[in-house]
Amino acid sequence: MDAVADALLDPWRTGIGLRALAEVALVGALGGALGFWVLRYRLVYGAESLAHGLLPGLVLAAVTGLPLVAGAALGIVVAAVLLALAAGEERTGPDTATAIVVTGLIGAGGLLAFARAVPARLGDLLFGDPLAVGASELAATAAVVLAAVAALVILDRPLTAVAFDPVGAPALGVRPAAVRLALLVLLAATVAVGARGLGNLLVLAALVAPAVAVERHARTPATAMAAGALVAVAAGVAGLYASYHAEIAAGGAVALALCAAAAIGRLTPRRAPAR
Amino acid sequence: MPSPIDALELPFMRTALAEVVLLGAAGGLLGAWIVLRELAFFTHAAGTVTFPGLVVADATGIAPQAAGAAVALAYAGGVHRAGARRHDEGAATGLLLVAALALGVVLASDLLDAGAGVDRLLFGTLLGLGTGDLVAGALAAVAALAATLALGPVWTASAFDEDGSRALGLPVRRADGLLLALVAVAVVAALPAVGALLVTAVFVVPAATARLLARDVRELLGLGVALAIGEGVLGLYLAYWLDVSPGPAIAALSALVWGAVATATAIRSRGARG
Amino acid sequence: MSGTARTPEGAAGRAPVEARGLTVGYGGRAVLEDVTFAAGPAETVAILGPNGGGKTTLLRALLGELVPLAGSVHLARPVACVAQSDRTRLDFPVSALDVALMGALARGRWWRRPGRSDREAARAALERVGLGAEADARFGALSGGQRRRVLLARALVQDAQVLLLDEPFAGVDQASAQRIVALFAELRAEGRTLLVTTHDIEGARAFDRVLCLNRRQVCFGPPGECLGRAALEATYGSEIVVLEDEGGPTRAITVQHHDR
Repeated sequence: MDAVADALLDPWRTGIGLRALAEVALVGALGGALGFWVLRYRLVYGAESLAHGLLPGLVLAAVTGLPLVAGAALGIVVAAVLLALAAGEERTGPDTATAIVVTGLIGAGGLLAFARAVPARLGDLLFGDPLAVGASELAATAAVVLAAVAALVILDRPLTAVAFDPVGAPALGVRPAAVRLALLVLLAATVAVGARGLGNLLVLAALVAPAVAVERHARTPATAMAAGALVAVAAGVAGLYASYHAEIAAGGAVALALCAAAAIGRLTPRRAPAR
Repeated sequence: MPSPIDALELPFMRTALAEVVLLGAAGGLLGAWIVLRELAFFTHAAGTVTFPGLVVADATGIAPQAAGAAVALAYAGGVHRAGARRHDEGAATGLLLVAALALGVVLASDLLDAGAGVDRLLFGTLLGLGTGDLVAGALAAVAALAATLALGPVWTASAFDEDGSRALGLPVRRADGLLLALVAVAVVAALPAVGALLVTAVFVVPAATARLLARDVRELLGLGVALAIGEGVLGLYLAYWLDVSPGPAIAALSALVWGAVATATAIRSRGARG
Repeated sequence: MSGTARTPEGAAGRAPVEARGLTVGYGGRAVLEDVTFAAGPAETVAILGPNGGGKTTLLRALLGELVPLAGSVHLARPVACVAQSDRTRLDFPVSALDVALMGALARGRWWRRPGRSDREAARAALERVGLGAEADARFGALSGGQRRRVLLARALVQDAQVLLLDEPFAGVDQASAQRIVALFAELRAEGRTLLVTTHDIEGARAFDRVLCLNRRQVCFGPPGECLGRAALEATYGSEIVVLEDEGGPTRAITVQHHDR
């Protein structure tokens, strides 16, 4: 019994482990809830492009000693602007233009990271390092997550209205463009804070996998968001456990756990509605 | 700034240069079809998806080309069967790529020692290219040329008007499958030099730039090859000078060139209209 | 139905285009029911009907893109097809000649490079549609009517016995339309079979037969029979404006609703 108790409690006996847990739980909860709208508004590819494209910002922050969240925020703004500009290039298809921008930004990030005497531990930026989260970083993450969740609650009606009937929404006093923009900002904020723990390549898992896992099973948006958050936290914890006991990369383990949850949720047959 | 002539005296630079030229030929030729058929995302995904296979190959001594080709072709087969080559808004493809990357890094943390291994697999290497890689590059270039000669007209017709071409009786679906398979295999040839994350720098960006300037398909092919080789060589020199992997150097350079050409042509056409 | 030895299939008596009790739809639900008609060599058939009435659906069924829910359909290959919507790419790096040349891919083996005779055929086809001078112009730079004619030229290069054309007159200027009508007469004289969907009731009078569709077959027969007032009203319902009905043939035009 003691061995089991040890196995369950050991990872959390240190400050490092606890902060990692808190980080993963916070980001997971936000991602799990927001993911419902990401799927509804078909923003998966956009989220992926933004996440990949913010690499130079991350590297710059790592190299100059700024907090990584700041770098991620800067990187995402630059990526968003470039992606928007590229999408306007008519002769290059939108998919191709996005691919070009992302290629260029990843390349720029790589250049910045390698072209130093001390490389900026590119792997940690790409794949995340939840075990290196400091107390102040954690506080910042918590603040952003709380604000984002509050925003989600406030925006619930407009988001639903525009998702359900974008053409009729203005009649209800809701402007689709403004709502979409707000959602994009929330998306960007989530990606920016999530890139710390999961890395810019894997943060998409937190945004998309929990929502996919519960998509078939949740009946209402509120249920979907709450369930998504729970699934995300559970998967995050599972991933951290695996990382601790099997001594594998933490960010990767969490991402894999999230993807596994998505697969399980997808393959589980839907229960017949209770009469 | 180091002298290019001096750089060429180093054997690894000569190998890298030959590789980049061969990859540029393949990339410019196939890139034309990738751009016309809008397969940019597929190309990126095919490269990314090989990452865990490369990690396993690295750790177990299997030839990386074999591992990469197996994964990439499996992905191409799945995409062809599903019929959708674009990015997936329903999240399946996005999660697949994330899972591949996560699996790769988890395996690497278990099987490989230093983080440098992961960097090399994701961004390519300047020093580690060997004869095997040159052979792969040459095969890719030859295959690209042969396919362009044989299937070019069908690919052009399908890209121009898919339904009409099918009504014409052209084997659109089979030609499409062949293109996907060819891209998958060619992408694998580029992995050692530019890495799993940046194959688009060779196979998509130069051709996209050429598309902005070319007036017909033949010009698209020729210009694409010229740009791909030119950017590859210049990027290689940059990589040598800055002591970075070739992948990021070629990627940043080619994207900048595309941006410049896109801006210039946009200004020019706006001026012509105004 | 004249089954002559010129039918492409070689089977004497089998019409190149034939449908019997054809019912087609999407996802199990029928959108077009019980169509029975046939067209032989040197016959032109105008297909009329309101939007959503099943004209395009019929063409897709004839081409084999839709599996019939009931009945049968037969179409002798090779067939040339000119689609309705401009789903072709306007920014594509091809000239008018390049597009016309694509028709040559259908004849013979597609892996052979287009030869001189193919090029000459393409140029001749462009001449026939009145675009000989525009052969080297970029396809996307041409007007809508010109693009439609280039696609027609592609169909000509195919040299098929059967041609299916989906609204070839839509968005086409008067001069081009007349050219196309003259071309149809030539093709008919060459013994080919033409199926043309159109909204132009007056223009349909020049065809050998008319097929009226409104989610089902309303009429199939000579223009005199199927373009009478009763048939037109059954086909178009309220989407029709009758101009003249006394004495001579009913003159009417359709009212089209364009969503764009």
